[in-house]
Parts: sequence; structure tokens; C-alpha cells
Amino acid sequence: MKVVELLESRRRHWKTLEQMIDRVQSRRRNRLPPDDLVKFADLYRAACADLALADAYQLPPSTTLYLHRLVGRAHNQLYRSHKFDFRLWGKILLHDVPQSIFRDRCVQLAFCLFWGVFIASAVLAHQQALWPDYAQQMLTEPVISQLESNFSEPLSGRDPNADLAMAGFYIRHNTSIGLKCFVGGLLVIPGLFITVFNAAHLGAAFGYMARPEVTEGLNFFQFVTAHGPFELTAIVLSAGAGLRLGVAWLAPGRWGRMASLRRTAREAMPLMGAAMCMFFLAALIEAFVSPSGLPYWFKALVAIFSSGALLFYFVVLGLPGGPSRATG
Amino acid sequence: MSTALNQLDTTIQVVTPENIAFDYRVAGPFRRLPAFLLDLAIRIGAFILIVFIINFFTGAGGGGLAVAVILIGWFVSEWFYGGLFEAYWNGQTPGKRMMGLRVLTTDGQPINGLQAVMRNVFRTADMYPMLSLQILGDVPPAYIFPTFFVGLAVMACNRRFQRVGDLVCGTLVVIEEKPWLTEVAKVEDPRTAQLAELLPADFRVSRSMAQTLSSYAERRRYFTPARRREIAGHLGEPLLRRFGLPADTSYDLLLCALYYRTFISDRPEESPRREVPRHHDLAAESNASEGSDP
Repeated sequence: MKVVELLESRRRHWKTLEQMIDRVQSRRRNRLPPDDLVKFADLYRAACADLALADAYQLPPSTTLYLHRLVGRAHNQLYRSHKFDFRLWGKILLHDVPQSIFRDRCVQLAFCLFWGVFIASAVLAHQQALWPDYAQQMLTEPVISQLESNFSEPLSGRDPNADLAMAGFYIRHNTSIGLKCFVGGLLVIPGLFITVFNAAHLGAAFGYMARPEVTEGLNFFQFVTAHGPFELTAIVLSAGAGLRLGVAWLAPGRWGRMASLRRTAREAMPLMGAAMCMFFLAALIEAFVSPSGLPYWFKALVAIFSSGALLFYFVVLGLPGGPSRATG
Repeated sequence: MSTALNQLDTTIQVVTPENIAFDYRVAGPFRRLPAFLLDLAIRIGAFILIVFIINFFTGAGGGGLAVAVILIGWFVSEWFYGGLFEAYWNGQTPGKRMMGLRVLTTDGQPINGLQAVMRNVFRTADMYPMLSLQILGDVPPAYIFPTFFVGLAVMACNRRFQRVGDLVCGTLVVIEEKPWLTEVAKVEDPRTAQLAELLPADFRVSRSMAQTLSSYAERRRYFTPARRREIAGHLGEPLLRRFGLPADTSYDLLLCALYYRTFISDRPEESPRREVPRHHDLAAESNASEGSDP
């Protein structure tokens, strides 16, 4: 059969397939009636066969190009993206993530780095003997006066409207910092920088506020107690997950660099998901409990309870072969 | 396609479950930037619209809930706009759909939700290094702009134009164009059919020669006669000698005849044999002028 006749006999099928692709793409639900579905599959397979035999049929290059694009479009309508499998999320967050955190060197390293810098910075800001101007240099004057004015009044609660707005603000602001920490970890230097900078900054603020002559310190510690455990853990977790990405391509071990990175990223993203949940919880506590006029013992109780929850999450659920193994 | 062409072209091959290999064109930065800017414009536009609507219903200033909704909406659109769209729109965002782009895995398979979210979260890594406007003058430290140098450098360093997020998730962006089916190139010149009958019936056109012939027939209308002669000469000259045709036969006409015989007409022996035309008719567009060419 000559090419012209062959094309003449096939053109009808190709055009039909093209129209069907257009129809699927413009549909809201991307669904076809069952009859059309069978027809679509038949036409797609026929077009694939034509493309496979294009060389043998001696099809002109322009027709081959057309077939490549036609088959490509049909392929993408037939094989569609997998959406989120929400049923898996519970298992991943409650079983896989704690298990992987427990033996994760990078999270441990990030933990030591963050708390090491935090404590060193707090001590430097508190003890004026070692480095008299440290707090002023680290925090800068405007930030210090801002902090002092924020906590000059005892916490007595604000109007509930402001609480809601602040919840939105904390969710956006803190989770963004966590995500930046995570993504920056991939490039190693930005990740380490964000982690160390945050640790030093927070540490200096804590150290400065702990000075006996700073009277606002009492209100400050009343404020930060309740949400501290969740928020600081979430930051450490984001930094650890990010650091893991950086290590994945810097020291890939037996894997290729890219393969190691891809493999690690699949494991690190759920860690970041857990961190985002913690940021979310911390934001709710920070917005509704921390600034309220509730007695200090209640805030301390919240802190103890959230620390206990974190311990349970990391240690009990994270223990290799722990109780989660049986339920998971 | 030959390896030499593969090295030049920005195409990737996808082998489908039907065991067919087809080519995709990979989208480069200059195709993806407009899509990104379109998405950015859509995001900002939608955000402003939502702020207006919420303000309209709750009164100026808005309640705490309105502010919270706006802030969380901003956060979600900042980090998850692309990921959610790509997961639910089969690898496309509105901007990508407008530019005819689609995200696939490096195997050409559809992406999953995790890949869609991750490759968009990792856009932040592409934005480094951040540029502060403080280097230009005395402005508040809030004005920090992404330079996208990391993303561009990484894209330039791999053959599939993958940015950092793509490398991390094993995805790439392809161009998905609406194809148009062109007709087979027609040969109008009546002398073509006549010459086609003069060609030896036992001459088989090889596959690569058939490719060459059809490429030539499709493109020859863009060339001047002199250029056609120059191009067709490479194949036409040895073929003329081989077929024992007069040396002044037009090369262009010879290739067209061969194309006609291979792609359009039936074999000469199947068609009723007509009177053989005289050779000098075929040389009207002759190669005789070739001697005068430098």
C-alpha cells in the first residue's frame, strides 16, 4: 500500500482520537462514557501501532512528528496524575515518620546544632561579663525595644478577634520559616545559616529577657512557655529534614548522587509534613493560650502536656519494633 | 532518531506500557518563565479578589476570622498553589496549560501528589541567592528579591532542563502541543509522473532514502530553483548515472519522480504503460546552467 492511501485510511481515526482528547481535556471531571472509553483506548493503541510502524510504512517526517505529538497527548490523558492518598497519611505520620526520626543522624545533628547555638547565645546575652554588647549586636536596638514594649504589660488576654488573626499570622509566618529551613537544607549553606541564625536570635532574646534587671522578662516567659515545645521542635525537625537532603547528595554512599537525593527526598518530605503539623499546633497555642490571662500553672501544664506528647511521638512511636509496629 | 540528532535536540523518548517509544520536547527556561509569571499573576489576582470579597461581606478592616482566612490563604497559595494544581490537573497549572506545558516524571509517566507538592516547595531553592535591595541604597531590609540563579544554573547543567525541584522529585516539564496533520506533499508537475515511469522498476528505495525524499518534497517549495538544484544534486547526480538517464535531467525533477513513485503512485508496472516521453522534455529545467555557475 502506498503512503498516500495508508494516510487516507488512517486520517479518520487520528482525527477522531484528536477530538476525543479535546473533549476529555475540556471536561470538568475528565470522564468519558464507557463506550467512548473503549473506543479511546482502541484508537490510542492504533495510533501507537502506526507510530511504531512509521519507519516501516515510510511515513513522511511531518506525519511522524504529528503522531509523536498525538500519542503523547493521548498518553497523558490516559495515564493521569495520582492524587493524594489521604488514607496513607495517618500511617505515614504516626508510624513511618517517628520510626525514621528515631534513627535519623541528621535530625540529631540539627537538634545539637540548634540547641547548642541557642544555649550559647542565651548565655552570652545573659552574662554581660563575657561579651558586654552581645545582645545589642545580635538583636539590634529596635528589636530589643520592640520586645520590651510588647511584654511591658502583664498578659491579660486580647480580644478574640485579634487571636484569630494572629493564629493566621503565626501559621503563615512560622511554617514559612520552617519550609525555608527545609528547602535551604538542600543547598546546605542557606539551611545551616537559617538554622544557626534562628537559634542565635531566639537564644539571645531568651538570654536577654532572663537578665534580672529586665522587668519585662516575666511576661515574656509567661508568653513563650506554652507554645515553646511544639515550635522549637518543629524548627529542629525542619532543619534536620533539610540537612538530610543536603547530606544525601554530598555523601551519597553507594547510590548515585541524584538517585540518593530522590530517594531521601521521598522520606524527608513526610518529616516536613510532621513539622508542619507541629507548627500548626504551636500557632494555635501561641494565638489562643499564650497571650491569654490564664494562670501560669495552666500554661506550664500545656507545655508539659505538649512535651509529653512529643516524647510519646518520638520515643514510643519511634522505638524500633515499638507498639506502633503491631498496629501499623 | 540518530544519536547525533538526539544530542542536538531537546527531546526525550518515552516508552509506553504498550511498548511504543515516542518523543517529547522538553521545555526550557524561556518557555517556563512565562508560565511561571502567568501563575504568579493569577495568584496575585485571585488573592486581591478574595480580599475584596471578604472585605465586602465583613466590612472594611474585617474581623479576625477574615484576616486569618486571608493569611492562611496567602500561605497556601505561596507554597502549595502549584502542587495542588499539578496533582489535580494532571501535571498542569493554569499558566502551564496556557503555555502548553505539562509535568511528567523522567520516565514520562504521570506524577503523583507527593512529587507535585515537593517540586513546588523546592522552588525556594531555585530562588537563591536572594538579593537585598540594601546594596542599592537605604531601604528597609524587607525588600529581598529572588535572583533564580541557582535554578537557572542547575537547568543549564542538565540535558532535561530540570530545576532543583525537578531533580529532587525526578520530574521534568515537556511541551505538549496540539498537533496538526499536514497533507502529503503533492507534486503538481505533470512531468514528474512521466519521469517516474522511466525509472527502473527494480530500484528499491531504502528507508533512509525515503526519509530524505519526503523531507525534500515537503521543503522544496521554500527554495529557489538554483537552491533546489544544489540540494538535489547530492543525491540526484549519482542516481542519474545509475539509472542511465541523460545527464541534463533536472535533479529536482528526478527526486520528485522518485518521491512520486515511492509515496504516491502505484508501481510503474501496475499502471498501463503510456508512450515514453522524449528525454529533452524532461530537461526543461535542466542542469545545463550548472556549467555557468561558479
